[in-house]
This record gives sequence, structure tokens and C-alpha cells, in this order.
Amino acid sequence: MKRRTFIQGLAALGVVGSLPLPLSRALAADIANPVSVDDLPKLKGELTLYLGRGEGGLYENVLQAIQKKNPDFKLGIRRGPTAALANTIVAEAKAGVRRADLFWAVDSGAIGLVTDAGLAQPIPGDLSAQLQPQFRYKEWAPVTGRIRTLPYNTSRLTKDQIPTSIMEIADSDLSIGWAPAYASFQSFVTAMRILEGDDKTAKWLKKIQKRAKTYAGELGVVMGVERGEVDIGFANHYYTLRLKSGKPDAKLDLAFTQNDAGCLVNASGVLALNDDPLATNFMRYLLSKEVQGYLASEAYEIPLVNGITQPEGLPSLANISPPKVDLTQLADLRPTIDLMRSSGVL
Amino acid sequence: MKLLFKPAKTLGASLLLASAFMAQPVLANGPIGEHVNHLQANLKSYAEEVEWMVGKVDTMVSDYDTKGAKSVKTDDLIEYWESVKFHSAIETNFVPVYASIWQGLYGVKMAIDNKEPAEEVRKQQKAMNIALWQGLGAVKLAAKFQQKGLLDTVKATATTQMTQSATIDEIKHKLDRVVAKFAERLRDEATEIVHDTYLHLFEGVEGTLIEQDAKLVEVLEKDFNVTLPQAIKNSKSVDEVRDVISDMQTKLDRAKVLIEKAEKARKDVF
Repeated sequence: MKRRTFIQGLAALGVVGSLPLPLSRALAADIANPVSVDDLPKLKGELTLYLGRGEGGLYENVLQAIQKKNPDFKLGIRRGPTAALANTIVAEAKAGVRRADLFWAVDSGAIGLVTDAGLAQPIPGDLSAQLQPQFRYKEWAPVTGRIRTLPYNTSRLTKDQIPTSIMEIADSDLSIGWAPAYASFQSFVTAMRILEGDDKTAKWLKKIQKRAKTYAGELGVVMGVERGEVDIGFANHYYTLRLKSGKPDAKLDLAFTQNDAGCLVNASGVLALNDDPLATNFMRYLLSKEVQGYLASEAYEIPLVNGITQPEGLPSLANISPPKVDLTQLADLRPTIDLMRSSGVL
Repeated sequence: MKLLFKPAKTLGASLLLASAFMAQPVLANGPIGEHVNHLQANLKSYAEEVEWMVGKVDTMVSDYDTKGAKSVKTDDLIEYWESVKFHSAIETNFVPVYASIWQGLYGVKMAIDNKEPAEEVRKQQKAMNIALWQGLGAVKLAAKFQQKGLLDTVKATATTQMTQSATIDEIKHKLDRVVAKFAERLRDEATEIVHDTYLHLFEGVEGTLIEQDAKLVEVLEKDFNVTLPQAIKNSKSVDEVRDVISDMQTKLDRAKVLIEKAEKARKDVF
């Protein structure tokens, strides 16, 4: 019996809470409902946010809307690549300077750099209680998620032909598209290292490399799959959803592995660098049902609070079984890069 | 007069480039002096530097004409250019002309190194002079903008709002820098700019763009990852690379229209 069918069956029987699976636990967990911005405290004062470049201007739209709703609030924003800003925050702290009050990162690995340095403030319990349990962290709040997927060409394969284990894919005869230089892929390899160990990961990389076609980015991977250049690819979910939105007849669908790095749910996240309640209240806006809904519908990101509709075309998270990984551990990128280099992948 | 290489877009269009002057983070090879934030105060010295450059090159070409190739050291051309403050003033304000100046400098250098007739060297020298004076005009224009407070202080980190349509403008600006670096004979750096622009800027907008025109994204993906890197790797002339980039910039103009349309249609956050 396939595991996802198994979970669905158990859910119907009301016994999901007994499963040792992160998302199935979440289904039965006590989660506070998301708050509407209309019920949030008005923001008054000034904050400086370091914003990692992400979904084009969509995060900007959110920030503008928050400022528009709070005319007595002024937000200074410094923008840059997420990893560079994380390093800047750490370097500034070492120099005895704190210029940022908040850090909104597109990648949880960058968050880990800052939390590991002991610079982030604790998250209030009522705020983290709004998040799915597996996304509750002491010092940062995940904002939205993205899941690793296997986009596949529907004219070449059926879903049943795709292994549901990421490790088994290395032993399949499928042709594969990948973007090993891409940050999301490297986070995925880091998760594999954490879950499977370096030796197995190195062997997996070498096997995949023999049949892989390399693309610069993951949208390129998905487009390559759609063109039939390869059978399947490794990519975050939203590239496929967006391509299908712009090209409804695309020969493309999503498959998922089960309970391994192949279906890792990573997240963007926000943290406060000072204990000013204004910073915490600002974070509440990002977890509001309006912002979560906006990012789900416009950026195809996965909302991490209750009751918000998933991006169209993505199966319910209840039917997916991502591995349990402390996302801040993904900051440990150097060993991953070293491993990919020694394996000849980079 | 027909130039030996295609000139950058006319300075007459520069007024429209105010937005390109503004808020563009600049990452130069070497240190950029604070003088670039005080253009007006330095215009006199920039003009003197251009005259000095023109004179030095003219002396070199005359020596080549009368005394032969052994009498000149063409590497000095690069040193002349890199020694003047005007170099970074034009690099931070009008990258297309900056590229043309490098193209002209190497035109003179290669003509001499290849022992071309003096008449051919003079043609290259003339093109270089035109690019230099055109550059001075661009800096004067930028100085006016700066005086009116329309020009942001040069800085290494973007702090202004970066909407998706503004991101397209920045991508186009970065592509201008690719031509400049290629003209400087810095192929690796030109390729790196292409790669970084794709990963850090184009990737941020292509999600929206693919919902509007999947074919256009497909073509631009190929341009960023195949056509342009190969042109940089294999092309012999700056014009060939500039042609590829001009073609990409035309496509990016189309992308900007589509993205602006999508931004207008996008629902409100609250």
C-alpha cells in the first residue's frame, strides 16, 4: 500500500494523531487561528528591515501594504541577497553595531546563520502558536513554505513510474534535470546529508550526475522537463505551478517522494534583532491571514498557518509526508558545497 | 561620419535615462572615489583629463606614424585610461559609453599591435575620441541631475524599492555593464555578471513573467544561459556581444510591459 494512500485512509479513520509523521501530527494539533490585520495592533514608530531578495516585488507589495495600513509607521528597508544580508548582520554585531531590527529571509539557512550567532530574539508563544507545529521555532517565525518536488513530463511518464524514494531515483533509468548551483537545490542536498549521511549523499550525487542534464536555475529545469529534454527534474513546487498557469496545456505534473529530503518543506522566515514590541507586532502582520493568503495566491507559496487555501494545483499538505528537519540546520552549507565539489558536481 | 563601432544610444535620449542613473548599485572593479558623488565640482578636472587622454593617444599615434611600432608602448593606453578619475565618473553614470571608450581604446591598441596602416589607426583613434567626448557629455548631464537631487549617492547595496518592473530596468543596466566588461577584455567578469544577473534578478521576475508569456521566458532563459555566455566566450568583437544584448533588452522591454500589466491586475494585499 502506498504511504500517501495509507495516510489518507488513517485520516478518514481519525487516527492520524498517532502517526510519528510531522504533518500528520500537525493535522491533529492545537493551532491558533490566524489573525486578521484588522485585529492587529496599529504599528507606530520606525523599524529597519533587512530584506533578502525573493519573489520579485511581491514581498515589497506586502511591505507597502503594511505601511499604508499604518500611516504612523516608517519602515527602512535594506535589500540584498539573503545570505549576504545574514553575513552583514553577523558582521555588524561583531563590530558592536545593530542597524537592522528585523530580518526577512527567503531561505531558512540564512536565518540559521543569525540564530546560531545568538542575535535573534525569542518569538512570543501566541505568535508561534499560529504556525503548524513542525514550523515552530524559538527565535524565528517561518512565513511561507516551498516544497521540493519532482516535476515530470506527462507524455513520457505516469506518476506510478516514478520512485517515491529520493534515494531510489539514483538507481532508476529516468533522465533527470537539475540545477546544482541553485541555492534551493543545495539546501535540499544539505537536508539529505542530515538525513542520510555524507557517504550516501555523495554516492547519490555521483549516480544522478551520470544521467543528469544541468540547468542554471530551477525554472529552467521545469521548462526542460516540459519540453521533454528530460523525464523528471528536481525543483521547488512553484515553478511548475506558475508554468502551468501560463501554459495550461503544458505536459507537466508534480510527483513527490515520501519522508525524505526529496520532499523537504523549506521556508522563508522572519526574526527580530531587538526586543522592541513594535518588531514583534510587525511580524504578526506577516502571519496574518491576509498576507498568508496573498503570498499563497500570488507567489504560489505554501501558507504555514491554519485555514488558508493552498496554491492552486498543489496537493494538500496532509497528503505529503516531508521529513522532519530543523530548517535552521540548513545553514550548514559549507560541508554541502565541499561534498558537491569533491563529487564533481560543482 | 560613420563610426567604426556602433555608438551607444544618443545622449539626446539621456534625459529619459534619469531613472537609470538613479539608485543603481555600482560594483566597480576598483575603488570608486567619492568624487563621483560630487560631479559638478569635478567637471573641470574631468574635461582636463579627457583632453589629456586625447592628447596622449594622439602623440602615440603620431609616433607610430612617424617612428614605427617599436617607438610606442600600447599598454600605456590602458594605463592612461585607468589613471583618470573620469574613468569611474563615466562608469557609474553611463555604462554604454563606458563600453564604447574601452572598445575605442582597444581599437587603437590592436590596430597598432597588428601593424595596421596609420590611416586605419587614425580611424580607431577618432572613434575613441568621439566616445570620450560623448562620455564627458553624459557626465555633465549626470552632474545636472545630481545638482537637482535626482541622482542617488553611489552605493554598493540597493536600498530603494525594487518592484518587478524596476527589476527589469536593473537587469538591462547590468547587461550594459556586461558590454562594458567585455569591451575591457574582462570576459570572466562579464560572464559572472550575466550569471549573477540571471540568478539574483531575472529569477525574481520570471515567475510572474511565465504566467504572462511562457514563450518569452523560454527565449530569455536561453539568452541568459546559452546565447549570451557563448557570445562572450566566442565573439571577437564588442559589437557582436552588444547585438545579443540589444536583442535581449528589446525582449526585456516587452517583459516589462507584461509585468506592469500583471502588477496592475494583481489583487491588493489587504
